[in-house]
Amino acid sequence: MTDETQAPAAPASTPPYLAADDVGLVAPQDFVCPRAFTFKNGQELIGLTLRYETYGTLNATRDNAILICHALSGNHHAAGWHTPADKKPGWWNNLIGPGKAVDTRRFFVICANVPGGCSGSTGPSSLNPATGEAYGLRFPALTIVDMVRAQKLLLDHLGVAELHTVIGGSMGGMTAMLFAIEFPRFTRRLLAMATTAREGAQAIAFNEVGRQAIMQDPAWLNGDYARDGGPRVGLAIARMMAHITYLSDASMDRKFGRRTIQSREQSPELRAELAQQPATADFNLQFEVESYLRHQGQTFINRFDANSYLYITRALDQFDLDHAYGSLENAFAPVLAESLIVGFTSDWLFPPEQNRQIAQALLRASKRASYAELATDLGHDSFLLESEELYALIRGFLERVPAPTLDFAI
Amino acid sequence: MTQPVEKRTVDMQIIGDWVEPHTRVLDLGCGRGELLDYLVQTKHVSALGVDLDFAKITACVHRGVSAYQGDMIACMASFPARHFDRVICSRTVQELHAPATVIAEALRVARSVTVGFVNHGFWKNRLDLLVRGRKARNAVYTTAWAESRPANPVSVADFEDFCTAEGIRITRRAHLLGDWKTPCPALPNLLAGYALYDLTR
Repeated sequence: MTDETQAPAAPASTPPYLAADDVGLVAPQDFVCPRAFTFKNGQELIGLTLRYETYGTLNATRDNAILICHALSGNHHAAGWHTPADKKPGWWNNLIGPGKAVDTRRFFVICANVPGGCSGSTGPSSLNPATGEAYGLRFPALTIVDMVRAQKLLLDHLGVAELHTVIGGSMGGMTAMLFAIEFPRFTRRLLAMATTAREGAQAIAFNEVGRQAIMQDPAWLNGDYARDGGPRVGLAIARMMAHITYLSDASMDRKFGRRTIQSREQSPELRAELAQQPATADFNLQFEVESYLRHQGQTFINRFDANSYLYITRALDQFDLDHAYGSLENAFAPVLAESLIVGFTSDWLFPPEQNRQIAQALLRASKRASYAELATDLGHDSFLLESEELYALIRGFLERVPAPTLDFAI
Repeated sequence: MTQPVEKRTVDMQIIGDWVEPHTRVLDLGCGRGELLDYLVQTKHVSALGVDLDFAKITACVHRGVSAYQGDMIACMASFPARHFDRVICSRTVQELHAPATVIAEALRVARSVTVGFVNHGFWKNRLDLLVRGRKARNAVYTTAWAESRPANPVSVADFEDFCTAEGIRITRRAHLLGDWKTPCPALPNLLAGYALYDLTR
């Protein structure tokens, strides 16, 4: 997911966090697993913490909860603002809020940073209480199943009786699907977008380039870098490369074309960067798109941990429902949720075909499932798009009257 | 334009009579899911619709009808033989790119296939071409040539010949006059405005 959360469109007089359809100021909270958490590979971790946010109120029957699952570089801050001075709201603020498609007047919305992450949940950069040092590569091997099981403990802690819906895009879509598989009686609806049931070779390949950029950086030090140091160059390059996979040829061309940085008004930061460039080199910053990617890389290293990047991309690589359950139909056999799978025409990271296969397998397994495909040219990140069509689809899925009987399976 | 809506209702009632309760139904070209919703309400079927249009899938999802956005042949190809009890292909027949392939694939994934179409052999349609020298226009095909989708008109005789040639058994037929209500007493290729067939292998 890119860092391109849109600027709020509120009148200048009203601060955006006070807009009627905004969840407003929110504060993250921490959940500490009361018992040791056992990862899929058998390793245990004591004091596993998940940082999370909630919006809206859990109802008396405790069944109006919607879990939002974030993507690779996302976190628990899905909606609202931490302070009035924030430049950007949470990453899915356009979807979540009072009266929005995920209506917080109606639903109790939860979003948690995954284990292995670096936004407050326990991950490789957290201190191991036994040693007083960061876990680094001693953090247990991570899978999507671990993310699901840890978040289920959080939901139990919050008193959620069953999930009205689990929603996620990209890696969040994998998490959402596994929720419906691992906890079928708990998960009533599944909405997975821009995702895949099986991380393919191309996606693994991109992840590997990112990991190599990090691990070949001399500052990586086998993962034992200082908190304020680390493979900043490698992580920035990993992010620059990954960022391209979230966009599309058409959207990049529209946004940047072949425009050069000389042709635009230069910010003080850019002028400073240009001043540092050697006067002779022909490989200095030239094009807008280069400047943009460098900025994306620099922004990322200030908010993301390199070891978390290694762990989470590896968890993505391991994700293969066909292999894990024998077949996709077997994987989906326990699912009781009604599902909606959404693909985006210009997504070349998890193309429509991979999303369609999920829906087809659910249908073959006699589940209630729908597949919709939105025509966009924004690439993989289309799932974060401000689109009335997408909102209408999601709203229709969430708010329709539940079917009178359970025996609706096709 | 109220007439096509009324005709839609007649269509739904006949198909509804033919559909067995608690069966699995696939509707090709499901539109906004009205027919499937009706079958779910009246026959408690397990329903799946296929359509190409995002807004139509949205409408289906909103009314709780499962729907798949995409090509109907590719969609059917993803299912094993006899996954469904019935495939319905109503009103879209003349717009199919490969009608023989669609019907063959439908007969693979379901025990029976319901096909409904506007009979282009209907006398008024003949007159449009013969006397006026114009594309047939009627309550269903209201648009002029330039505003119409590509169509591959089919008549009752064409369709029955096709079934015979392909070894497809017609188990039920319903021919309706131009009002799409009154049963057609004779000469369906000339007098029927709308035709419905139930097919099996």
